[in-house]
Order: sequence, then C-alpha cells, then structure tokens
Amino acid sequence: MATQMRLGFAQLRRLPLVLFVVLYSVVSGGPFLWVATMSLRTTAEIFKNPYGVPSPVHWEKFADAWTKSNYSTYFWNSATVVVVAVALVTVIGSMAAHCLARYRFRGNRFVRFLILSGLVLPPQLLILALFQILLDLDLYNTLTGLVIVYVATHIAMTVYILEGFFAQIPQDLFDAARMDGYSDFEIFWRVTMPIGAPAIFTTVTLNFIILWNEFLFAVVLLTDDAKRTLPLGIMHFTGSHQLDVGMVATGLMIAILPIILIYAFFSEAMIKGMTAGAVR
Amino acid sequence: MSISGRLSRFARRNSARPEIDARRAGIGILVVFLAPALLIYAGFTIYPVLRTFYNAFHAIKPHGVVEFVGLGNFTALLLADSIFWKAVSNTAIFTIVATIVDVFGGLLLALCLFARAPLAPLLRVVWFTPVLMSYVVVGIVWVWIYDYDWGLANAVLHWLGLGAYEQSWLGHPSTALSSVLVAHVWKWLGFNMIVFLAALHALPAEVLGAAELDNCGWLAKLVYIIIPMLRATIVNLLVLSFIGKMMVFDLIWIMTGGGPLWSTETVSTYVYKRAFEWNTFDLGYPSAIAVLWFIIILAFIAIMTRLLRQRDRLEF
Amino acid sequence: MAVITVDKLCKRYESMTAPAVKDVDFIVADREFMVLLGPSGCGKSTVLRMIAGLEPITSGTVSIDGRVVNQVPAKARDIAMVFQSYALYPHMTVFDNLAFGLRRRDVGRTEIDRRVHAAAVKLGLAELLKRKPHALSGGQRQRVALGRAIVRDPKVFLFDEPLSNLDAALRVTTRNELIKQQHEIGTTSIYVTHDQVEAMTMGDRICIMNQGEVVQIGRPLEVYRNPTDTFVARFLGNPPMNLLKGRLDAKDGVAVAHFAGSVIVLPKRAASSLVRYVGRDVIIGIRPEDLYETAPPGGPVPIARSPARVVAVEPLGAETLLVVALDVSSDELIARIGRDTALRNGDRFDIAIDTTAIHLFDPATTKAIV
Repeated sequence: MATQMRLGFAQLRRLPLVLFVVLYSVVSGGPFLWVATMSLRTTAEIFKNPYGVPSPVHWEKFADAWTKSNYSTYFWNSATVVVVAVALVTVIGSMAAHCLARYRFRGNRFVRFLILSGLVLPPQLLILALFQILLDLDLYNTLTGLVIVYVATHIAMTVYILEGFFAQIPQDLFDAARMDGYSDFEIFWRVTMPIGAPAIFTTVTLNFIILWNEFLFAVVLLTDDAKRTLPLGIMHFTGSHQLDVGMVATGLMIAILPIILIYAFFSEAMIKGMTAGAVR
Repeated sequence: MSISGRLSRFARRNSARPEIDARRAGIGILVVFLAPALLIYAGFTIYPVLRTFYNAFHAIKPHGVVEFVGLGNFTALLLADSIFWKAVSNTAIFTIVATIVDVFGGLLLALCLFARAPLAPLLRVVWFTPVLMSYVVVGIVWVWIYDYDWGLANAVLHWLGLGAYEQSWLGHPSTALSSVLVAHVWKWLGFNMIVFLAALHALPAEVLGAAELDNCGWLAKLVYIIIPMLRATIVNLLVLSFIGKMMVFDLIWIMTGGGPLWSTETVSTYVYKRAFEWNTFDLGYPSAIAVLWFIIILAFIAIMTRLLRQRDRLEF
Repeated sequence: MAVITVDKLCKRYESMTAPAVKDVDFIVADREFMVLLGPSGCGKSTVLRMIAGLEPITSGTVSIDGRVVNQVPAKARDIAMVFQSYALYPHMTVFDNLAFGLRRRDVGRTEIDRRVHAAAVKLGLAELLKRKPHALSGGQRQRVALGRAIVRDPKVFLFDEPLSNLDAALRVTTRNELIKQQHEIGTTSIYVTHDQVEAMTMGDRICIMNQGEVVQIGRPLEVYRNPTDTFVARFLGNPPMNLLKGRLDAKDGVAVAHFAGSVIVLPKRAASSLVRYVGRDVIIGIRPEDLYETAPPGGPVPIARSPARVVAVEPLGAETLLVVALDVSSDELIARIGRDTALRNGDRFDIAIDTTAIHLFDPATTKAIV
C-alpha cells in the first residue's frame, strides 16, 4: 500500500489518465446509482432532496411496484416471449448454419446471400408490412405473433455468427462420424452442436439481451396491457405514474436488476455476445 | 417432358447416391435443416420487405382499400413534405455526429484501458453496462437527468457555478437533439470501446515493442502505428454505427417523441407517426419513406465501404 | 477376410479440367498392407476417400470381397479410417471417442466396455480414458485415433497420413508400433502417405501415384530396385537417384553408355534388349549409394571411374553425402559414402561408379529401359 501511495514522476504523468478514467466511470455508472437510491426513497423525500442517501430505506416499494401494478404480467410476458423466441431461433438458426457450412447444394450461395442480407434490413422497412401481415393472420396483438417476428428478424445474425464458427470445424470429424454409421441429423446433434456450443452460447446471449430490450416491434404489434412486454410495461407504468418519480425508479430497478445480476456472473459471455458481430 | 417426369428425374438425381458424397445435400437434408429457417425468414422478413415496396406505390387505406398511386407518394414526400426534410436533416446531423463521437470516443476509452489505467479489467466491465440496458430504461433515466427542476444536468451546472446555463434541455428545440444525442452516445460508447480493446490486444506486441525501440513517443505510436493498424476495425465500426444511427428510433421516441417542434424528429419516428399516430390511415406513404430511406442507407454503405476499405488487407 | 479391388477408378471435379484420379487399378489381398505413395495432390487421398465412401466415384468400381460397393454408403461398408487430423471429437472423453463408433452398430454396453478397454490396454491408453483430447499429447491422440479404428474390428482399415502430424522421433516409434499392431491384427489395410520411408518400412506392397495415375505397384525393395520411370526413381530414395544425360552404343556385342566423359560397359545387360536405343540419347540413373570414393568394399564389382571435384560435403554422422561436379559434363551428382572420408570442399578425385547398378530411362517417355 505504502509504495502505491508515494507518487513518483511516472505516476504523476499518469494523473490526467487516472482523472479521466475516474470521471468517465462516474458518468457511466452515476445514473444507475442515482436511480438505485431513488428506488429506495419516497417521491416526497426525492423532491425534498433528489440526491440524498436513502434513510430510512424503503424496501417495501419493490413489493408495492410488483403487486400494485401489472409488473409481474409484463415480466412473465417478456420471459415467455424471449425464452421461446431465443430457443426457436437458436435451433432453427443452427440447423440452417450447419447446412450452409457443411453441405454443397445448388443455390447455396444464393440462400446464404438471402439470409445474410437480413443483417442490413432496417426494422422500419418491415414493421408496417408485418403489422398488415399479422392482422391478416389474426396474430396481431398476440405473443405468438411477436415470437414469430422475433425469430424471423434474428435468424440473419444467428446464422451469420454460427455459420462462421461451424465452417471452421474440420470436415474429418464429420467424415469419421459418417463412417461410424451416424445419420446426417445425428451428426448435427452429436458433433456440430456440442463442438459449436461456445458459438451457440454467444448467439443465445446476444439474442436474449436484444430481445429482452426490444421495443419497436413490441410497441407496434401489441396493444393489450395484459400482453405488454417489460419495456412496454415500463413505458406504460412511467406514463401512468408520471409524477410518482420514486415509484417509477423502483420500477426501473426491477427492470435493471435481472440484467445486472446476470451480468455480474456472466460478464465475459455477455460482452462477447453483444460484440460478436463486430469483433473478428 | 411432363412435370411428373421431371420431378421423378429430379428425385432420382438427388436420391441416387444420397450418402456417398458426404458434402452434397440431398432434398431430405435441405428440407430438414434449411427449410424451417428459410420459410420463417421468407414469410416474415423477405415478404414484408416486398410488401413494403408494394405499399410504397399504393395508398393503403383501412378495410382493404388499396389504390395504385405510382410515384405519387414519393413526389409528395420529396416535393411537399417539409416535416420529412426536417426529419432527414435531423437524422443526418444525428448520424454524423453520433457516429464520429461513438467510434472515436470508444477508441479513446479503449486506449485509456490499454494504457494500463488502474482497475482496467473492472472498468472494462463497468463501462460496458449501459450497452446492456434497454432504450426504455436509458431513455427514462436521461429524461430525469435533463429535468429542469431536479435533474442531474442542471444540478451539476449549478454546483459548478454555471447556473446561467441551466435550462430545460429536452423542452427547447435548440438543445433537444443534442441532448438526446448525448444519451445515445452514453449508451453505445462502451460497445465501441470493447471492440477496440479486443483489436488493440490482438495487435502484435513485437510491432509495438519495435516502435518503442525506434524511440516513438505515445502520440507518435498512436498516430503512426496503432491507428493505421486498427483501420479495419475503425471502418467496420463506422459502418456498423452509421447503419444503427440512420435507423435511430427507440431512444428518441421514448425521450421526446420527435418534439418539440419537430426538433428531434427522425425519419424512423416520422415513419412510425405517419403509420400509427396520425389519423391519416394510409400505410402507403410511410412505406414510401421507409423504402426511400433504405435505398439511401444502402447507397451510403456502398460508398463508405468503397471509400474507406483498404484494397489490401494488413498482414500481421 | 477382405479383398479390395479397385478397377478403372476415376474422379473428375466439375471445377477442374484434368481428372483428379484417372484409371486407377489395384487389388489389395486379404490381410495385405498396401501403401499408396505419392506427392501431395497426386490423388492418393481421393482414392482413399472413394474407397471409404466419402467421395462419389465418377467412373470405375470399388469392390470389397467381389461385391461392388459404389452405391453402398460409408457406414455400411464396414471400413474404419484413421484421419491425418485424427478427427477426435473434442467434446468427448477418450472412452467416448473410442465407443462412439460402436454405439451405432448394435453392440451391447458390456461388449462396448470390453472392447474399448481391450483396445485401450493394447495401445497404452488405459490410464487416459477419462481425459478429453485437448489434455492428450500428440502421440496419445494418434493412438486414440488408431484405437477408434481398432475397436470397430472392421473388414478394412484406411489410413490417411496418420503420422504426418507427429514430430520426427515420435513418428519412428509410432511407425514401429503400427507395424506391430498390423501384424497382430492382420486386417486388410490401405495406408496413404507421402513419406517414402513410411512406405518402404510399412507396406507389404507400395502403389506409387503421380498426377492421378498409378505409376508402379510392387513390393518395397522391388520398386526401389526397379523403378519403372524417372518419377519413381527420384521419388523413392533419399537423397534421390542421380539422373544424367548419356548416349547408348554397342561395342563388340556389348552395350556401352557414353556419359561422364567415358565409355562405360553395361554388364548384365543383354545388348539385344537395348537395340532400339543404340546411337540414341538416354537418361542414366545412379543411386547415391552406388557411387564410391574408392573401390567398393567386399569383392570385385565392375567399376567405372570419372574425374570429379567436391562441391559440398555433408557429414551426417553414420555416413557422409558428397556433392560432386564431374569434370567433363559439369553434371552434379550426390554420392553417399563412408563417414570416414577425408575429402574436403574443392578436392579432386576419381569417383567410382558401380556399373551393375546403372539404370537406363527413355528420355522421351521417362520409362525405364529394360
């Protein structure tokens, strides 16, 4: 400790760096801390002094937010939609990626181009027509419809990441399994899937975060309060409790906490997942 | 040749030796592995895109009323819609500024950590946190930060003795766009930082060491060694960030809804408004905006990759 | 029991004009160990993969025990293959890697256990069964790959350069290990390699391929002694056979060769077989070990001498390689001589050639003249 306290010339030169780092840490982390303190204080306390420390600590606000609004509904809607959509897009996407990476067939390049072109499609180009299509199919304002849309719009990224990884698995492994008598599907299930597990985990993480936070498709395709996903629910809750800042802060914390908790345990996986498309 | 004849010939060709060539996919394999993805993708991504293009040339009214209008939507949009042009200019400003700040701010943060700032491994994780937050959360928090009466922004100014600059950040047309932009940058800086950090750590230590032996100062090292070697990453992130910003919707919708006085209206929020908020009951017009904007985005991607991408890849 | 017959086997890829494999014929007898030898890209691996059923056959047939298997899928051919990359499943333990091939073959659990353990003991893997491939050394991985083929107890073993990923020392021990295993198990095997030492030491017979075609098939020493053309002559043997330009003539009913500035009588050669070449250019081939610093030890051999200058000396310990330039033709030859030579760079001496060991090739066809 003592050696670190003595600032040598080298440390002095690093002072601007350290100052900047501290400043940015405050900027990036400060807002969360602020919301965290507010979530444990009443609105009256907050308006008296917006930046005070919670005292007394109002834990009961979390129970109130959960029970006295539709928060639990929003939460379970989100959980259902995201889990089902991620599971589907993972299975469907990895099968397609396996097929593109492993087999030759007429039109292989065209199919690859078609799917990967989905990477640059703006959601705005889809959303109006999807609204019409789901209306036609009686899937408008249903969680099923939202799941289908989520799967369809996230196949491109999933296939892109998985195909790149699967293509690197040596062909010999597949030939060996084939000579050992395994069928095409068994080879996918027992060779590609286990060996590709790290990449699959990455896409699961990526899709999970993106869909958990997704707003645009949900806001267009869902209208019932009982169907709202968490982001829509928070918006709605904020709208109806506009002046009750303390309660909204508690609501925000309920949305933030699961992600922070998962992040605390799987930070590397989540970082890797989110940046998978950009890092090469 | 009859259709059934063709079909059976086709089937024979594809099933005669299904398993001899380990890498050739027969019909069965394509159906099992590829069809699910292709069907759902075709039905809910490709078809909607095509339908949007179709919509763009029609007036799509409720109760199935469809009217062909040719280029009418486009001419109305380009010649007579001042809000559209306001949205275009807002989006352009937002895209250019946010892209540059995002990418080079991210590089700056990455360099700080790369220069062995104290607690770098921890800060890397902390600084990335905003990336994981939904736009809804980020938007609401920043609305509070910008609150005139008790927001953090004004409080900090007050504390710094700059009380004269306190204002209603999101409430005034002259500051609203930049205020939203700051929130957007705040969310995404960590993303660019992580990507740059990964690229920095992938740089060969020998080259950086050699630069040190050549008596390169840190600034010279940055300008002459590091940035040129990161070129591919920089281009990649510029394009990626650019695409994202051109479509910006969520944060603006949540924080200002495009107001006040169209000062934060972007193309995407305008599309949404014309489709679902205004009671014009016409999906054709917003579709035309979406189509036009998509073509512009594609054109910019093509131009950017052509201008910025190096012909020869750096070998190291 | 398995005899493999390969008949007029061809492989043509759509993207290439020349066929990758052209009219390959050979028969591997039951319990025989056949080596396919050739430089990389000669089509030997493609032949192996066609026999395995991993690559479609353009034309020709592959038969096992007289039954054409062209249309039989790989899994039904009862063939096991050892891959160059070993193809171990990284997510499975050694035990599961060994058992993987049995689980699809109606083998009971206890029988799988028994066979895997037996193979593991035989290959010295018994202690490693719970490990995963990444925790194994290169040699251990190679043995797992071999074990995976052995437990299957197939009709035929195929080896695709299984030793080429090992370091030199390990390659020698593993090679001997493999030879021993092969003698014990005695399963019909085809072994692909580009390493002539492996081919010479392991094969009952060698099939040498070049540019998609079979050049020569025969027992190792037979092929070494009587290469059918200059390709085989250069490919087998290290350092390779020296090839020189020369001229053939007849003198007093005996064949003579003009080369290296002298007229050399070719013993053991009936002039009659060489009649067609009299007065024409030929290629003269001499193996490095048939060149001597002085007269060869151990008895009278017909010797020819030619003045030469030492260009380089490479002492290898057990022997010494000399690069010498002949005075007359300025051809360079490599000679393998005893380790105790006193010759130094630039020294001049009369190099001795064992004339009984001279090979003759037709310069137009590169085929051997016999």
